[in-house]
Amino acid sequence: MKGLRKYLTPFAPDQSGAVSVLYELGGMLVICDAGGCTGNVCGFDEPRWFETRSAVFSAGLRDMDAILGRDDRLVAKLADAAEKLDVTFAAVIGTPVPAVIGTDYRALERMLSKKTDLSVLTVNTDGMELYDKGEEKAYLALFEKFSDKNEESEDMNDKDRPHIGIIGMTPQDVSDLKAANKIRKVYADQGMRAICYGMGDGLDEVRNASLAAKNVVVSPAALKAAQYLQKKFGTPYEIAYPLASELVPEVNYQGKKILIVQQQVIANAVRKEIEKRTGEKEAITTATWFMRKEEILTDLNVDAADDISLKEEDDFISLVEKEGYDVIFADPCMERMIPGFEGTFIPLTHFAVSGKLNV
Amino acid sequence: MRGTAYYCTVEELQKRGRDDIPEQFRSNTHLIYSSPATLAFNSPGAEGFGVKRAGLAIPDSIMLIVAPGCCGRNTSMISSMPQYEDRFFYLTMDETDIVTGRHLKKVPKAVQEICDSLEKKPSVVMICITCVDALLGTDMERICRKSEEKTGLPVRPCYMYALTREGRKPPMVHVRQSLYSLLEPKKKKGNVVNLLGFFSPLMDDCELYGMLEKAGVKTVHEISRCKDYEEYQTMAEANFNLVLHPEARFAAEDFHEKLQIPFIELRRLYQIDKITKQYQALGNVLGIPFEDHEAEAAALDSVKRLKSAKPDAVFAIGECMNGDPFELALALVKYGFRVAEIYGTLTAENFVYLKNLSELSPQTKVFSNMEPTMLYYDPEESGVTITIGKDACYYHPDVKNVMWNEEVQPYGYAGVRYLCERLLEV
Repeated sequence: MKGLRKYLTPFAPDQSGAVSVLYELGGMLVICDAGGCTGNVCGFDEPRWFETRSAVFSAGLRDMDAILGRDDRLVAKLADAAEKLDVTFAAVIGTPVPAVIGTDYRALERMLSKKTDLSVLTVNTDGMELYDKGEEKAYLALFEKFSDKNEESEDMNDKDRPHIGIIGMTPQDVSDLKAANKIRKVYADQGMRAICYGMGDGLDEVRNASLAAKNVVVSPAALKAAQYLQKKFGTPYEIAYPLASELVPEVNYQGKKILIVQQQVIANAVRKEIEKRTGEKEAITTATWFMRKEEILTDLNVDAADDISLKEEDDFISLVEKEGYDVIFADPCMERMIPGFEGTFIPLTHFAVSGKLNV
Repeated sequence: MRGTAYYCTVEELQKRGRDDIPEQFRSNTHLIYSSPATLAFNSPGAEGFGVKRAGLAIPDSIMLIVAPGCCGRNTSMISSMPQYEDRFFYLTMDETDIVTGRHLKKVPKAVQEICDSLEKKPSVVMICITCVDALLGTDMERICRKSEEKTGLPVRPCYMYALTREGRKPPMVHVRQSLYSLLEPKKKKGNVVNLLGFFSPLMDDCELYGMLEKAGVKTVHEISRCKDYEEYQTMAEANFNLVLHPEARFAAEDFHEKLQIPFIELRRLYQIDKITKQYQALGNVLGIPFEDHEAEAAALDSVKRLKSAKPDAVFAIGECMNGDPFELALALVKYGFRVAEIYGTLTAENFVYLKNLSELSPQTKVFSNMEPTMLYYDPEESGVTITIGKDACYYHPDVKNVMWNEEVQPYGYAGVRYLCERLLEV
């Protein structure tokens, strides 16, 4: 049955994705909910919450706020908090409750901008989409709001531009809190400085996005933002996941029929890594529960038939039963869905699926 | 002031009184800060026995969560526990469902499909719905009846409405009513008592069991100790209910109305003299002496040993623990300790304890766990040497802590004794 899940808990929702993008940027993040969604974000979907205190708040909506559409109360609460907190911007992130009552986020943004000196951005997530949709919206809102042409960059050659921008680095996508540092090291070893937006690098770097020599897109959710920056500043982008090699254990992949389930960029980076190791084009299928972009396949020169979308649990179960794979890369929580699988199951953790990090 | 966590002293709060609680302590007037305490208070499914876990208190029951994906997301924390494996299922909603309500038609079929896929038929199916259906005005009772007709199994609603957190019937009140709504009238037995309120049992050596036995009670039922659905049904045989948590009051009233089982409400206390008085009052109602001098002496002795081992301890007490932080603070102050700080959610009911505290320890600071400036809480100057509660530990990561939020419930003299023993260990 469509929408029925017997094995997997629901995946990270769009509001968690939006928070994930904005979490480390020094803003006040207000989740427009009754409390449950914030509990889900802080208590589960945002592993960084357990490490440091952060300005993530619930709007604390109650039934009468929703029934009467009392946006003015939210504005007053946020303005009050803005006076007490030392934050650089405010972001309002949507959930199912405002979606049901039809909250006008643009109006809310204007009302908030009048009441506070802070820059305000809103992300109209609704809790029914998946995390990557929320990330995509948040990245776009972020770069549109804060990235301006930096005068220094006007006359620069590409060689003189000081850094590489990495877009799409969130714990949801890379499932590893140390991934940003590892990527910085990869580029540092090549004499370049990598800026990981939202993971270790803050709002100032977002403001200076025009200084990037190029952007590297590590998740499909970041593609639109990279295209926006290309259009606005002429910054080229490439699609890659520089840490793919560490996700592929030493196994003989030659001549094997392989299925890789992850977000689209990582799945295809793993494909490339396997083919690099075997030196041949292998029978590899990539699949994802999340957004799937044709541009990524074109860019990576992958046949669209070898990259598929999964929606329901049965899609994955029947795919495995039908195709007879020798090797499956997928989040460990999916192994119990295919008890009859006799090939090699290689864990490829995806935080947005299982809520687990790579350790 | 920027960069400072707001607080009031106990004396200030007492002076202002229950009708003039500062805005910072009223959660509907400000944004809600995300502290560990907030997760438990504000998010009804997130922590410990939230709605999701509580809803599965009936043995062999399963739960279908009918909601947008975000509402079921954190359930994997619970479903990874062995006792909840294969007990949670999800029917995720999309935007079209919200507009058309078509998801409701799918529920009976989904329940049937789940039951057919299980090796053992569940005893009950709980259908958990969330804020979205609260706003849509979904008649889940009707959907449950339809599901019962289709499957032949009991199906009950479970409302995880965070929107109604501060209403008359918050989610944790409602879930208790749902849980006991399946009991059918049975012949009463004069020597059977139910303990209502918790989703896990009292500590095995709690004196309450022995005192009830002395009073002639042969069987004490707790939902968490029921081995199967049949045993759960025997709760309808009880002569009376003891309500140990105020959130079970409505459920106890349902018992009274539907099954003619009356109830008596008791509080969880840490002041030994008050525990004794409460038992005496219960004895007066039952018309028998209700006392345990040995347990009382053991509790007094444990307090004495703690005082002698840690005479200069300075406590900070949070609300993420098995107790009322204001009552526990008062108890510790009465035992001669210093309580520097309390992190709590202040309600009019707490003023019973604040009155005494303001006389004995007027300078104790009270912080609101949910107020935005708690982001800036600084433990440096507090002088706290021991914390009690998960939230207190969060604010004082470098200080000795007793979480005191274990699932087995402390109660009465035994609760005091165990708490003192745990404090002696740190």
